Amino acid sequence: MKIHLYLLCYQGEALVASHLEPEAFGAYMATGTQKHTSGNLMFFELDPDVKSDFLKIDAVKAQCQPHPDGSPRRSKYASIYRVLEHLPLTAYRNLHLVTRDGRVLALAPQPYAAPATAAPVHLYTELAPVTPRVVSSLDPQEFVRFITNPANPVNVPRILFADSLIEREADGSLAGYLPYANPAHIVDCIESLGRGKGKITKTVERNPALIAFYRTIGRGFFLGDPTGVVFYPFPSKDDLEDRHHLWWRSASLD
Amino acid sequence: MVAAGVLFVPALARADDGLVEAERLLPGWWWLAPLAGFVALVMAYVFYRSIAAANPGNARMQEIAGYVREGAYAYLRRQYKVVGVVFLVLVGLLSYMAFVLGVQHRLVPFAFLTGGLFSGLAGFIGMKTATLASSRTAQGASESLNRGLTIAFRAGAVMGLTVVGLALIDITAWFLYLYKYHHLVTDGHPMNLETITVVMLCFGMGASTQALFARVGGGIYTKAADVGADLVGKVEAGIPEDDPRNPATIADNVGDNVGDVAGMGADLYESYAGSILATAALGVAAATVSGWDAAKTFAFLSAPMLLAAMGIVLSVFGIFLVRTREDATMKALLAALNRGIYVSSVLIVVGAWFLVQFLAMPVGVFWSITIGVVLGVVIGKGTEWATASEYAPTRFIADQAATGPATVIIGGIAEGMMSTWIPVLAVCLGTLLSFAVMDGFQDLLAGLYGVGIAAVGMLSTLGLTLATDAYGPIADNAGGNAEMSELPKEVRQRTDALDSLGNTTAAIGKGFAIGSAALTALALLASYIEEVRIGIHREAAIEYVAPAAGEAQLVASIGADYNKKWAIFLPGAAMGDREEEQFHTLSAFEGSGENAVRVVTPDGVTVSLIINEIGEKVKERTILAADGASIIPRKASLKDYMTLYDATLMNPKVLVGVFIGVLAVFVFSAMTMKAVGRAAFAMVQEVRRQFKEKPGIMAGTERPDYARCVAISTAGAQREMLLPSILAIALPVVTGLVLNVAGVLGLLVGGLCAGFSVAVFMANSGGAWDNAKKFIEAGHLGGKGSMAHKAAVVGDTVGDPFKDTCGPSLNILIKLMTMVSIVFAGLIVKYAPAIGHWLNLGN
Repeated sequence: MKIHLYLLCYQGEALVASHLEPEAFGAYMATGTQKHTSGNLMFFELDPDVKSDFLKIDAVKAQCQPHPDGSPRRSKYASIYRVLEHLPLTAYRNLHLVTRDGRVLALAPQPYAAPATAAPVHLYTELAPVTPRVVSSLDPQEFVRFITNPANPVNVPRILFADSLIEREADGSLAGYLPYANPAHIVDCIESLGRGKGKITKTVERNPALIAFYRTIGRGFFLGDPTGVVFYPFPSKDDLEDRHHLWWRSASLD
Repeated sequence: MVAAGVLFVPALARADDGLVEAERLLPGWWWLAPLAGFVALVMAYVFYRSIAAANPGNARMQEIAGYVREGAYAYLRRQYKVVGVVFLVLVGLLSYMAFVLGVQHRLVPFAFLTGGLFSGLAGFIGMKTATLASSRTAQGASESLNRGLTIAFRAGAVMGLTVVGLALIDITAWFLYLYKYHHLVTDGHPMNLETITVVMLCFGMGASTQALFARVGGGIYTKAADVGADLVGKVEAGIPEDDPRNPATIADNVGDNVGDVAGMGADLYESYAGSILATAALGVAAATVSGWDAAKTFAFLSAPMLLAAMGIVLSVFGIFLVRTREDATMKALLAALNRGIYVSSVLIVVGAWFLVQFLAMPVGVFWSITIGVVLGVVIGKGTEWATASEYAPTRFIADQAATGPATVIIGGIAEGMMSTWIPVLAVCLGTLLSFAVMDGFQDLLAGLYGVGIAAVGMLSTLGLTLATDAYGPIADNAGGNAEMSELPKEVRQRTDALDSLGNTTAAIGKGFAIGSAALTALALLASYIEEVRIGIHREAAIEYVAPAAGEAQLVASIGADYNKKWAIFLPGAAMGDREEEQFHTLSAFEGSGENAVRVVTPDGVTVSLIINEIGEKVKERTILAADGASIIPRKASLKDYMTLYDATLMNPKVLVGVFIGVLAVFVFSAMTMKAVGRAAFAMVQEVRRQFKEKPGIMAGTERPDYARCVAISTAGAQREMLLPSILAIALPVVTGLVLNVAGVLGLLVGGLCAGFSVAVFMANSGGAWDNAKKFIEAGHLGGKGSMAHKAAVVGDTVGDPFKDTCGPSLNILIKLMTMVSIVFAGLIVKYAPAIGHWLNLGN
């Protein structure tokens, strides 16, 4: 049986080998395991032939054997620590978003092109290796460079984050449909960036609860390090309701 | 017009009672009533055929619809088995009362059966059509919004027209038989109109009993399935609504039909029939007491039937008015439904004017009908205001969700309580006005007739109103079918729009059902006293003793001295022939006042009596008063009975009865709610079991066992509904036997006042919580999945048994307690004095 490599990356990291195809793997991780995962799940599909000096990939592949009755091995954990940074960026293939009831949406990577008109401020929900929610005046590419710059005291070798929606009403408040737990505080943080003290990022919340997370996704997901950025665009609302209806129904439930 | 009215009633030219020995003729216009009933059934059939001929959709759609249909039939089969046993027991009891104890007319067991049978038949036809229509509505929505609306609405119309058609045919068939043929079949005396209307009233108990099981059982079923599907499916497993992976989803869809189609249909069948029968009985009672001529009596008896007939025709017309453009907004959809209702309501008022003129009735009857029609609209609008998300009450609850579930619950309870003011005040005003325009403060029975005909007016376009209400669950099922069949986006958007409209109409329909139940129950209160009158007369007549030879009459005390009941027996009755004995008996009770007569007993004692009922043969003669004068006696008024039984607020029996009536409402509500909890628990366990034992369900590789969930919810509902049902039937009888008529009146008043208010509160709270949740889901206060949404979901979960189980069941409780009291009045009248005496509670 073919061995797949997956990197679980929703507010944590884990490298897992499995015989299951991505959709089946996602459904299994959300609903099929006794170690019941509560909430959403995300994982990267990796190049099955990727090598790493740090991660014992070959060893875990060797252990990923079918069950005695011939059924596929659904998961064999290789590592749960510092996985994201120790795999080359070229090894990352599709990003899969999994809902609580096991529906899977695959996002294909694309090169990132900054929009012609840059938004003045962004809201980023970091997912791995750290998990704060921050506002920033930097666009995604600039933010990746900033947060992965080893010269900065606060930095990480590689970052995965989502671009989150911050649509505002005429009175400056966040749009009513956005499910953030602390919308007023988000607005305060946004406005603090604009007070001209040279602040380019501000942490909104260190460990946000990620309520109705998939409904807050803006342009998509970004995976980057000093060498580059991989962009996973999130489908438009029309696309979600039309072509990914079943996933979106589950995703917008919570 | 007066001449025309008299002209068509040649056989009733006699001024006293219209009693003739030859075959009785009915005026030509009377036949419009049964004809309209047949028109309703024919149109229901036409609509049914058009729905059956519609495209049922693809294989998956038909498969889903098939599961729901099987589940619905499984529920009905089980329910009818249980109902059958209950009916058997009650028919046995009623037969014992009629044939052995002699406290009931011998036709009542049969009337009871037909009432239940027709009510059950209406529910069955409605469900059959609704389950047929769901996939067809979804398929219609794939062609156009208008097509989807037409199919769903016409399916609802089948329910509506079946209910009104069967009810009117049942009523007119019984009347025809009793008026024209019963005396020929039994070779006895023709029944007078009073007896006819009072016997017919008893079939209302059959309809009420069937409605009780349909509503309570259906309500428990639907909420057990809904809660089970939501708690495990949505909350625990994260499965969205109408997902085929949820084992309880089919049971959930079946529940919509069982509760909101069959249950609502049975509920309103009973209100419709009950209001017509009660009003007819009141009309005859008013005529008898006031001494109206035969033509006027017949007009007052027939007016409710003719009004209902007119309403059927206008309902059919209104149904055809419901259509919309392809690009209709939600507002336009609602306008399409409202157009049908408003146009029919206006036309019924216009028609009522001509009816009143034709039957030469007082103009107060027209005004009462108009008040009833307006009352229905006001109650509907009041419900809409209290529950729709466009208005302040629901917005307030939604806003409370931002601070958590506790404030949502508090807000919903508060708004629900506050919302009772519109329907309660409306019913109060409507009652007073309809009473007053008939000069009720001078003529009590005429005033009560006004209240009764107002209820008939309110329900006159029930065919259309029920169509609007039954449309809701059909649209809901269609939406579920579209989701489970994974139909394209534009189809789902259309079914969502139809479903959303259905939620609004369902809430309004519930408010209308409660309001009509309150008015009907009011009219039935007066009918109860008529049954008491008949009961006293039977009790007296059964002790008939022929006067000695040469004596004109025999004055006899009935039962024990504390009974205060007397009879004046006239010679000529064939001994052992109950009908003859009743005809030759004048029943009375001790009392004084302008109606009292003084007669001499065989012991030479003079007693002052108020005449209860005058046997048919007695009407042809006079009685001998104490002073030797021959007098034509006058029957007791309603107030005389209040005096006889001391039915005043100062009598503790009345107050205790009121408290028991209020208690019944709360205990009944508690029973039904706890029943939902227990039935839902079983469902939750089953869904969890299936998820655990069939891991492929979530992956979509294994099919859940839908039938098992349906079976569990069905069994749970049937088991759980027995105790509340027994309470509703037994309580009026036990109260009556212990506290006599005064206690029963208190019970009925307490039950009506508390039941009406609590039913409104529950329905509106539940509706508002539901719509507050939907308001948030539409993208406010954080939208779906937000903390506010989670809080609102808690409110919605609490509100579901409120609005779908307890609230609707209270309609039935109100009416059933009244109907049971009416049917068992003879038993109470005969045995309560002895029991009261034995318990030292007075008689």
